[in-house]
Order: sequence, then C-alpha cells, then structure tokens
Amino acid sequence: MVKSATESARETVRREVRSDPLEAQIDAILEQQLKKRRRGVLVRTGNYFEIPDKLVMFYKYSYGMQSKFFKELKERKKLLGSMCRKCGRVYFPPRASCSECYTGTVWKEVSNGGVVLSSTTSWYTTSEFFHKVPYAIGYVKPLNADTAILQKIELDGGEFVEPGTKVVAKFRRVRKGMVSDFWYEEIK
Amino acid sequence: MKKSAGRRVAIVGIGQTKFRARIPEKTYYELAFDSVREAVLDAEIAPKDIESVVYGIYNDLLERQVMPDTYVHDYLGMHGKSGTRVTTGGATGGYAFRAAYAEVASGLSDIALLVGVEKAQDCFDWAQFKTTPEVLKSIAYSADMTWEFPIGAYAASSYALLATAHMKKYGTTEEQAALVSVKNHANAFNNPYAQSPMKLKVDDVMSSRMISYPFKMYDCSLYTEGASALVLMSEEKARQLKAKDPVWVLGVGSSNDKSFTGFRSSEDSLGEYGDIADLRNHYVAAKLAYRMAGIERPNREIDVAELHDAFSFTELQAYEAMGFAEPGRGGQFIQDGVPEMDGDLPVSPSGGLLGAGHAVGATGVMQVGEIARQLRGKAGKRQVEVRNGVGLAHSIGGPGSSYATVTILGV
Repeated sequence: MVKSATESARETVRREVRSDPLEAQIDAILEQQLKKRRRGVLVRTGNYFEIPDKLVMFYKYSYGMQSKFFKELKERKKLLGSMCRKCGRVYFPPRASCSECYTGTVWKEVSNGGVVLSSTTSWYTTSEFFHKVPYAIGYVKPLNADTAILQKIELDGGEFVEPGTKVVAKFRRVRKGMVSDFWYEEIK
Repeated sequence: MKKSAGRRVAIVGIGQTKFRARIPEKTYYELAFDSVREAVLDAEIAPKDIESVVYGIYNDLLERQVMPDTYVHDYLGMHGKSGTRVTTGGATGGYAFRAAYAEVASGLSDIALLVGVEKAQDCFDWAQFKTTPEVLKSIAYSADMTWEFPIGAYAASSYALLATAHMKKYGTTEEQAALVSVKNHANAFNNPYAQSPMKLKVDDVMSSRMISYPFKMYDCSLYTEGASALVLMSEEKARQLKAKDPVWVLGVGSSNDKSFTGFRSSEDSLGEYGDIADLRNHYVAAKLAYRMAGIERPNREIDVAELHDAFSFTELQAYEAMGFAEPGRGGQFIQDGVPEMDGDLPVSPSGGLLGAGHAVGATGVMQVGEIARQLRGKAGKRQVEVRNGVGLAHSIGGPGSSYATVTILGV
C-alpha cells in the first residue's frame, strides 16, 4: 500500500522534537512587563484600538571569507587586515577582494596601535545599548592600514576623545569571536 | 551639456498628510491613501489614469511588515498596474522620486504616482516603556550587522562622526549648527503640515540634552508618521490634459559613498571632494543634477532649497556639497543669514526635517512637493520670492550619509 501524503506528514510530526517556540518566552516577558505596570493589555484612546506585539528572528550566520579575522581575534588576540595583491592597499576591517582592483587580498596583521580620525560620545541610544551610556565610538586607523574601523574607545573618565588621539587595542579576557571582543584605549 | 535624452516630466499633483509624532488612528496604507487622494485631486485626474506607482517606504521593522508596498498598492486600487518600492534609508523619498521620474522620462508610463509613507512610531521598548529607544533600534539595524551594530552605532552617532570630523577639519562650531535648528523650527510655524514648530534660541539648543556629541536634542530631527504623494506626467500628456501649474523636473542626480565610512579617504576616487568630514557623494549628486539642469552658479540661480537636516550639522555640510558655500564655510553661510527666510537663498521653508518632521519614506517626497508648491507660488505664509523659477530638493540617507539625491525643479 502506498502511504498517503497526510499519513507521511503525521509520521514526520510524531518524529519531530516538540518544544514551545522561543517566541512564547518573549510573550511571557511582555505579559510580566504589562502586569508590573498595572496597565491593561489593550490601550483604548478615542477611536482606535492597539495591542502589544513583537517581531523576533533567530539566526546562525557565517562570517564567510572574513572568518579568519574572527577566529584569530578569539583565539590569539590578533588583528588581521588584508592587503591587495595588486595595489598594496591594506584594508581594516579586512576584505577578501580589493574593491578597487577586483583582485584577491592576502592576510596581513595590523598594528594594535592606531589614530582616531573621528569620534562621538553617545548619551542616548537604542534599547539594546541604553544601559551602557555614555560610551564613545570612533573611526580608528591602525598605524599600518589604509582604512579605519569603527570601534569602541574607552572614555577613561573624560567626555570626548579628540580626533588625532593615539590609541591601542585591548582585548576582552573572554572572547566570543565578535567585533566587540576588542576596543581601543588612549596611549598615555 | 545636458545629459538627459529622456522626455520632459512635470509634477502636476501634490498631496500630503499632516506630519505627526504618531498617528494611531490610521495604518500605513490609510495614511498613504489620504496623501494620494489629495495628489490625484490636485492633478485633476482619476486614480484609473495612473499607469505605474513607485513607493518610498524605508524600513520593514517600522512598518511591522515585509513588502508593505504591495498592501498599499492593493488599498489604492492599483491592481493591474506596475508597482515598485524604493528603500534607501533617509534618502528613500529622494531616490523614489528619481525612480518615478525615470518611469515617465523613459516612456514606460505617461502618468506615474509616487507615494512615500512611514509608520515610524509603533516600535515600543517594553522594558523602558518608551517608544524612542526601540525606534532607534529598528534603524540601527541599518548599521553593518557584523562590524558596526555590535559596538553600539546608530543613526545619530553615525552622523555625529561626520560632524566632529568637520569641526576638527574646518573649525565649525556647535553654535553655528544650533542656528540651523533655530531657523528650521521657526520656519515650521508657517507650515500647517509640520510636526515641531518651536521658538528656540541658540542657548536652548546648546543646553538641550546631549544625544551623541556634538548633537543635542534640538540638533536632531524627530521620527514622524505621515505620507506624501506626487503625480508625475509626461510633457505631452500634461499639455493634452491641460495640467494646471505644472512644475518641471530639470535635473536629477544621485551618488552613493562607501557605507564603511572609515574607508573614505582623500586618496580614493572621491578624494577630490574630501574625506570623512565632507559629504563627498552629495557633491557628486549636486554636480550631476546641475549638469542636467544646465545650472552653473547654484547660489545665484536657485531661489529656494529643501536640504536634508536630519541633524543640524548635516545641513551645514550640505550647504557646502550643494555649492551654496565654499567647502568648510557652511557655518559662516548661516551666520551670514543667507539661508534664512529673508536671506538670499532660503533653505527649508517647510521647517525641514527638524521642524516639519522626518517620516522617513515620506520625507524626500514632501521636500520635492514643498519646492513644487514654492515654485507654483502656492506655499501660503511660507512663500519665498521666486525670481528665476528654480528650486532644489536634497535627500540624505544611510550610514554616514552614504546615499545622496538632488532634484532640481523649475517653472
């Protein structure tokens, strides 16, 4: 007997791991927040009607040809740029191909020391970073690179990091393989 | 030498909703509908006459909807017609205008509709019980997600980095930038569609809450909900239908710079226009638009401009890129009063983004519409003197102003 499509589907469903979707946990958090505020779920004003909602996406993603940068950062506290085989331009952050020559690049370690080209100190920000204000970010060009990376710069009690400031890279003790595994500090 | 070989295109209909912080009584397609109804009435055509539609809608996360344009298309009764969406950050409206212009100039359509809309303030941070940080988050996802988002970059800091570079390179001051905020918030009093008319002094701007140095609260535009629409027509069709008050598209130019702002240098192919401190691609966009329009001395030939003042400093930088002021002299340009309502080249009589609001996808469409109203001589209390019959609208978007469009209109 040939199985029907719905029979095959039923069998697959039986084999699948059943778990509550992760979104359900976020719904629970939303509900807690609403209770804490002692406000109803529904907000009525005039002639409209509104409800709480969310959009949640989960990922696992690959760094592609940039992977080696993050591996070296995580495992060896090294900052890798890349150099064009043709024009010799040193990219930091690295790219596998030179955008000017359309030629491949080779990995090249860049110096931990660099210069701030421009910076800003944020006192207001997105929900994800609100607990960190004030914090400074800026474009830092390593001494032997031709481009600058946007990175966090330690404020060290000050309110602003002047362009032209000489800085050095510092590394987190526990690194995840993310750009936030390192930051810059002023060289005193 | 004019570059365009396309057909002449006219703006024949203008529509806009009021720009407000939040319009909870309307959905994004209801807002779009309101602006289109007004534009179609103004153009004295029927919706069925429209052959194609271009949508300027920036951010799916703001709209809480992937492919929002397709639902607007349905709601507008445009089934059976071409519909395309443009999304280029803050420059969405400007770039959408370029697409709608091309639709008609190319001969693909005789009558095209352009609609910009944004529902910007439904995002909500349930931990802080506030809207803004979550709105900023949805926009911060436009920063490179591998290299720049994880360190806390967002829209204001991305443009502040250009401002501090400008201050360092040219000696521009926070007080000069504050003059832009004072001017644009004041201009908004004469615009019935505007969100934030305010009577401010330089000191009010200087002492307002720090957001991302050197930007204080009053240096930053507010996110806004609203819609704006235009009807575009070929010259032949406009003559045939005896369109009233057509405003002609004389020039369009656009250019994008490196979104990894740290890669910009005076050594690269845009190096002649400067480095991080300069809106290099905006110089290019202006040059292209001027060439097409045959404009040689912009600050003499242009009567009125709407520049993209998402942040006050950005308007100073735009004075330079548009050729109104010499590079590095944007601050002096406003100190001299040139862009004031009674100056030689009034900039942003609508109130700009600071005063009228920033309903992202609708903003650039609103600005082009404002210039068209000015050139028609129908801008009410905010009408400027039209001598040459030429106006300019400018859009900025993307990380570090990486998107640029310039539109030149004339009568």
